[in-house]
Amino acid sequence: MNEDEKTQQNLQAFKPQIESISRSGIALIVFLSLVICFGLFCLYTQVTRGHIVTGMRDNVVWGLYIVNFIFFIGISYAGALISGILHLLRVPWRTPIIRMAEMITVISTMIGPSYILLCIGRLDRLPNLALFGRIQSPIIWDVIAITTYLSGSIIFLYLAMIRDMAILRDNPVKNARWRNPVYRFLSVRYRDTTKQKELLNVSTDLLSIVIIPLAILVHSVLAWIFGMTLRPGWHSTIFAPYFVIAAVYSGTGVLIMVMWVFRKVYHLESQITKIHFNYLGLIMIILGALYGYFTFSEYLTSWYGSIKWDMEVLFRLFSPSEYFLQFVFAVFIGVLVPIIIVTVPRFRNINSIAFAAVIAVFALWVKRYLIIIPTLETPLLPLHDLRPEYVHYSATWVEWGLTFAGIAMFILLFYLFSKFIPILPIVRTGEEKDYSRLRKIVIEKQVKQNSGNNKKGSVITASILLLFMLVPLSQAIAEDEPEIRTVLKLEFFHVDANQDLVATLRARVDGKYQPLANMPLTFRYIQGNTVKEIGNAVTNLKGKVTMPIPENILNTGGENGIYSFSVTFKGQDKYPQATGNTTMKPVKLEMSFVLKDSVKMVSLKALEQGKDKQWVPLENVDIQFYVPRTFSLLKVGKGTLENGRTSIEFPTTVPGNQLGYLILVAKIEDNETYGNVEVSGTTNWGKPVPPEKIVKRGLGDTNAPLWMVYTLIVLLSLVWFHYMYVIYTVIRIRHLGKI
Amino acid sequence: MKSRSTNRRKFLKLGIAAGATALMASGGSVLSAISGPENKETGEKIKVLTADGQLMEVDKGHMCCQPASNLSARQGLPGKKMVMVIDLAKCRNAKKCLEGCQKMHFLPPHMDWIKFYLLRDSPDLSPYWFPKPCLHCNNPPCVKVCPVGATFKRTDGIVLIDNDRCIGCKFCMAACPYSSRVFNWEEPKMDGKNPGKYSPETSTPPKVGTVSKCDFCPDMVRKGELPSCVTSCPNGVYYYGDKNEDTVTNGTDTVRFSELLQSRAAYRFMEELGTEPSVYYLPAVDRAFDYKVGFEGLSEEEVALYKKEARITD
Repeated sequence: MNEDEKTQQNLQAFKPQIESISRSGIALIVFLSLVICFGLFCLYTQVTRGHIVTGMRDNVVWGLYIVNFIFFIGISYAGALISGILHLLRVPWRTPIIRMAEMITVISTMIGPSYILLCIGRLDRLPNLALFGRIQSPIIWDVIAITTYLSGSIIFLYLAMIRDMAILRDNPVKNARWRNPVYRFLSVRYRDTTKQKELLNVSTDLLSIVIIPLAILVHSVLAWIFGMTLRPGWHSTIFAPYFVIAAVYSGTGVLIMVMWVFRKVYHLESQITKIHFNYLGLIMIILGALYGYFTFSEYLTSWYGSIKWDMEVLFRLFSPSEYFLQFVFAVFIGVLVPIIIVTVPRFRNINSIAFAAVIAVFALWVKRYLIIIPTLETPLLPLHDLRPEYVHYSATWVEWGLTFAGIAMFILLFYLFSKFIPILPIVRTGEEKDYSRLRKIVIEKQVKQNSGNNKKGSVITASILLLFMLVPLSQAIAEDEPEIRTVLKLEFFHVDANQDLVATLRARVDGKYQPLANMPLTFRYIQGNTVKEIGNAVTNLKGKVTMPIPENILNTGGENGIYSFSVTFKGQDKYPQATGNTTMKPVKLEMSFVLKDSVKMVSLKALEQGKDKQWVPLENVDIQFYVPRTFSLLKVGKGTLENGRTSIEFPTTVPGNQLGYLILVAKIEDNETYGNVEVSGTTNWGKPVPPEKIVKRGLGDTNAPLWMVYTLIVLLSLVWFHYMYVIYTVIRIRHLGKI
Repeated sequence: MKSRSTNRRKFLKLGIAAGATALMASGGSVLSAISGPENKETGEKIKVLTADGQLMEVDKGHMCCQPASNLSARQGLPGKKMVMVIDLAKCRNAKKCLEGCQKMHFLPPHMDWIKFYLLRDSPDLSPYWFPKPCLHCNNPPCVKVCPVGATFKRTDGIVLIDNDRCIGCKFCMAACPYSSRVFNWEEPKMDGKNPGKYSPETSTPPKVGTVSKCDFCPDMVRKGELPSCVTSCPNGVYYYGDKNEDTVTNGTDTVRFSELLQSRAAYRFMEELGTEPSVYYLPAVDRAFDYKVGFEGLSEEEVALYKKEARITD
């Protein structure tokens, strides 16, 4: 049988697949659409009511969505690695399965990232990723890697379809009014000339080389989202390779499942044979064994090291009341059952291998759950919360709805795609001969239709929506109105040249003092029997008001040098009236900084107004020295006036500004005679604070470290250069097809 | 916007550079600057120091501006490095700090920016109360992982969130080893309260689908006032201040930061993680209260939970 005959035979065999749709096919589409519609309703609920409708809370911030995200990106490996490697190694039996593998990649790479979107609280702000993206964040790595990977996978899938579309163009399909022009356009005038063939083969080889490291990178980046955090069970160097292996394992499993399904649906028994199941099963169990080895290594290391938090996570996984069953399923059953099925000849047949694949895929989904949830339920500090939904994650119907919608979407896209182009390649290339020979050598046993293999082990616990309602306190208990006292305090402040009266109005309600704001106060000056009104003012939010003492009053000389003031509050609303009094005697303070025997000193001179307005030295009064800081005054010394003078050693260790300048304040505080008197001075004797070194590039800064920028540019340009080259080749193929 | 920048320019014209030290006029302090549409002259003068040591008097309205805009909130307060010291010896789990914080930031009852733990480092040791705000790490794991730079570290040491930029991916919450971050899972109920215009410095009003956390109250620092947790604490547990001024205060006592750390053997929580927190803890030695005092007023459930966490069997 030559190639052309084989192609014609395939065409005739596959045409019905894409020409008509069966009744059960329509029923499937309707059912899947309904599931997707329910998913859309779940999405609507989540967007309108907020993420409160999910089971995610402050500790378990990610749930099923991220599990599905890892799962779908994981199975996308089927195409990238399986088809890429099989293609490069020219494995003869790959041809029938390679398109399914690539389709798994494209479809799951489209569905996977939509789950990460579901985790995002503000979908309306997605453009921020482009506007403010920081390449230090693993999420940005993921965005870049996945878009690049998806683009590559689509190109790869397309390259592999060009030959088939050329065939379909030349042999028009029935019921394909809109498809035929699409085939014509996409087949880029491919006529299988030697030059065209060569170009197509080269670009396919090239892309399969590029896609393999890219696929590894994509899943590593995904693992790094978790590995880069300081969380037990996540912060592990093994994570990236572990994720890669787990991903290929599940990808192979899904490929086997898809093969099994399409083999049944489209009756492809003669094309997809036991060889494919056996070989893929073998690949799958090798990967399964690697996955088991990585798992063992990971848990053994953290158990042996027994760091507190690692142990807490392990304890959860091994605790029968928490995740033990799931753990046994994901790690033991998920590895051992496929290995036993595939390695023991008695158990090995197409159905049992498909069953093993189901076990593996399902176990891997559970494993992803066990990677995410138990770690998030184990914060480094105890998870102190009385609300059960904040302590234990339990997915809600919204999350399950969207999970099933994603699976339905996967099946639907796959099914629709298989209606667009045959699920198996029509055109068989040179290696097909080898394949035919191989098939003759291996005698295929009759496939036993075992129906009992469809039992799926289920470990998903049913989701329970726990509602914790807060009962608001409905009524305040009415009490008898207590006695309210009003306190009005009057103080005198003499700060530099300003001499002010400061009144503070407070009320005592329920045993607590609170400031009274917006209350009018009247200030008066009292000289003997004469009372002179200074002015009225309203209290501020802190119940305070400042009233400067007019010059003419200060010129009167007071009574023997002593001035008396009062302030009154007439009373308002429920607050009774109050009065405050104070006296003061004018004082002059002068501060100077002196160097005495190379010791830095602060010297203060104080004079008071004696008889006949004469200034005489102040005696025996305490002076406090302060350095003003942002919130308050820092006490740096204390002195007592002797003969009108006192001094302290300058606190040279107190920081000033960049040049060492600082303000020093000297105060007479709450003195019965003199009130509050204050003077300040500045000097550069403080400790200079060097200006902050500004780090411009770093993990926590706006700009990324340069090596990171360069790495990203180099990697991206390498990959995209190849994409561009392949696209250019396709254009050349089209050009060569001109007659 | 324009008027604010004009004011800032006016302020800068005064030549006040990094390290400016503000001295509040003794006596009154006016809050009117908060509500006004722009910075008003309050009539209240503050003494500030220019870079070359000249003493200037500035109107307070020019000093404490309105809460900064989303962009200008990315600049730290010049020359400052905010730190906090928490004295575990004085804490009795009264949770007044949280009350004050929730009131100030219009938080719903279960949104805790300060969390309380009863820690017991090993079964032989005595349990102690451990209040924990955001630790404002100098090497913050949350800032590193943010994909859009919605959470950022400022030059004054404060880690803030721009809730207008946050996309709600919660990566920062997964990355924070101290569980400091909380999420607005649903539309925040304001119950008629009006927190005014949003600023990352006030973190209010909260926005649905975004992350929030303790913000170290930079809006208060601008005004020269202490955060609510510091002033609400009846026992003076919280000390707050500027490390560059080597001073922290709990509202009553003002002490040298370095001396406090030295004399009380301060430590930073989980130093081994390399996150370099800006919050320091003073160990619970010579305690003011027995730890059991902290159980007062709590529900039986919560007491049981605390006891379980601290492995207290009685």
